[in-house]
Amino acid sequence: MAYLASFFWGWLLGSLLLGLAMGWISIVQHGEGVSKKWKRWLAALAVVLVAAAVSRLVPGRFGYWLDLGLILFALYLCGCAVGSWLRDWVVSRSAPAA
Amino acid sequence: MRVLNRWSGKWWPGVIPLVILWAFAAWTTTAPLEADLAQRSTTALKDTVLDKRRIAVAGRDVTFAAEAFSEEGRQSAVASVEAVPGVRLVNDETRLVPEAKPFVWSAERDVVRVTLGGSSPLPSSKSKLMEAARAMLGGVEVSDRMNLARGAPQRFDAAALLLLDQIAKLKDGKITLSDNKVTLSGMARELGGREAIAAALKNLPEGYSVAANDVKAPPYIFQAYKDPVAVTLTLTGYVPDNNAHAALVAAAGRKFFSEKVVDNLKASIGAPSGFAAAVLPALGALSRLSTGTLVVSDREVKLSGDALYEAAATQIRAGLGKEFPQGWQFKPEISVKPTAAPVDPTVCQQLFTDLLGKARIRFESAKADIVADSAGLLDRLIETALRCPNANIEVVGHTDSDGEEPANQALSEKRAQAVTDYLVKAGLPANRFTSTGLGSTQPIAGNDTDQGKAQNRRIDFVVR
Repeated sequence: MAYLASFFWGWLLGSLLLGLAMGWISIVQHGEGVSKKWKRWLAALAVVLVAAAVSRLVPGRFGYWLDLGLILFALYLCGCAVGSWLRDWVVSRSAPAA
Repeated sequence: MRVLNRWSGKWWPGVIPLVILWAFAAWTTTAPLEADLAQRSTTALKDTVLDKRRIAVAGRDVTFAAEAFSEEGRQSAVASVEAVPGVRLVNDETRLVPEAKPFVWSAERDVVRVTLGGSSPLPSSKSKLMEAARAMLGGVEVSDRMNLARGAPQRFDAAALLLLDQIAKLKDGKITLSDNKVTLSGMARELGGREAIAAALKNLPEGYSVAANDVKAPPYIFQAYKDPVAVTLTLTGYVPDNNAHAALVAAAGRKFFSEKVVDNLKASIGAPSGFAAAVLPALGALSRLSTGTLVVSDREVKLSGDALYEAAATQIRAGLGKEFPQGWQFKPEISVKPTAAPVDPTVCQQLFTDLLGKARIRFESAKADIVADSAGLLDRLIETALRCPNANIEVVGHTDSDGEEPANQALSEKRAQAVTDYLVKAGLPANRFTSTGLGSTQPIAGNDTDQGKAQNRRIDFVVR
């Protein structure tokens, strides 16, 4: 893992920043979110994909691409969580003053 | 957590650029990643001895094919590749180098090159053998047909290097090592090469043995050419050692009284047994020819040339072979020199005097037995006597002054008679010859020196 991180740290950083930005925006966005039912399905899909990656079921290049996608997605999610939390913190601090 | 759950519902739009990012990342990193992993895997195997190594990388999966020389080596090679950082899976296609049974290695030499074939236990011993072959054979092309196999006997390298040293001594041939049995065939480069190889094979490592040694030596050649025009006897070829060399040249000097001996002989081991015992009588026979060539090749003696008269030719043809040691062959090609024109008795006397001035008929000490070395001189005297068929010849014996005069008288008579008998046996009519002994009464030199005495011990031919 350390090898992969050092090999394409730029791409990882990109997905993290993308997540931060998305998280930042999502707090004040007024659109429809993903329904609960969909979330469950997506979570199940993620679990299946992670299981496939961990058990090294997918061979060759596809295996590598799966690993890469999952790592980018995980960092994206982390970025989103941190971004959302930061924005929420900023919004809740400025609200009483307003 | 609930808050996070609420927010996460709105994170999905970012997934679209994330997918694009992912696609780009996959597109640009796959090839460099694969190249990097292939290079790291190769580096990890740098110190591992393997044959036919092949590394292919797809994504982070390495397909590793190779032939290892031991099970531990194979496992450790796979483990080294698995330990390379970034490698996800190793598709292990390694196997052990096939085992050769029997383990055969060979070195074959022909006119242009030396070919090393069969099996070699490790790449390092293979290259060591190639290097050694190039160094030992200096300039000869060395071709590598060796493959790699397990199952070599212990101390294989030492044995193979010793055998390579032997291939350098062969002109052509093949040396095969099958497990720990050595088989040799071919022709040695030099005389004595066969013996040198046999001696070197005694140093084979423990456990190795010679199954068959069919190395042949080149023929052991001795040649003598009697040239009547240049009046020389040319000796070429080989003699067993320096003593035999000196003895042979001295004998040639005695047998060929008028010819100059040109000595081009070289001493070399590898002579057939009984060499001197065969060559000396053969040289004696050559001395009886007017012109001729003697070729001794191993145990075959070929004598060709012209005898001075018919009876001499018959004697040589029939007699020489009997003098040879067991196992020697004699191939005579003797013709007879055309008879020279007859001359009158005065010329005949002159010819006898000339011949007996160059050499004397020699006898065993204090006996009337003619020594074999005088055969050439006697043949010339007989040839001369045949040229004056009407002359009567008196054979006169003389001695030096040593000893009692009656004994000298008797000895001189016996010696003169022995010569006459020899002439008659050669086919001359007995009634043309008389033999007389004069003891020491007619010296031609002083009897006070050995040289003078030697001159006084003589046989004279007097034409009447």
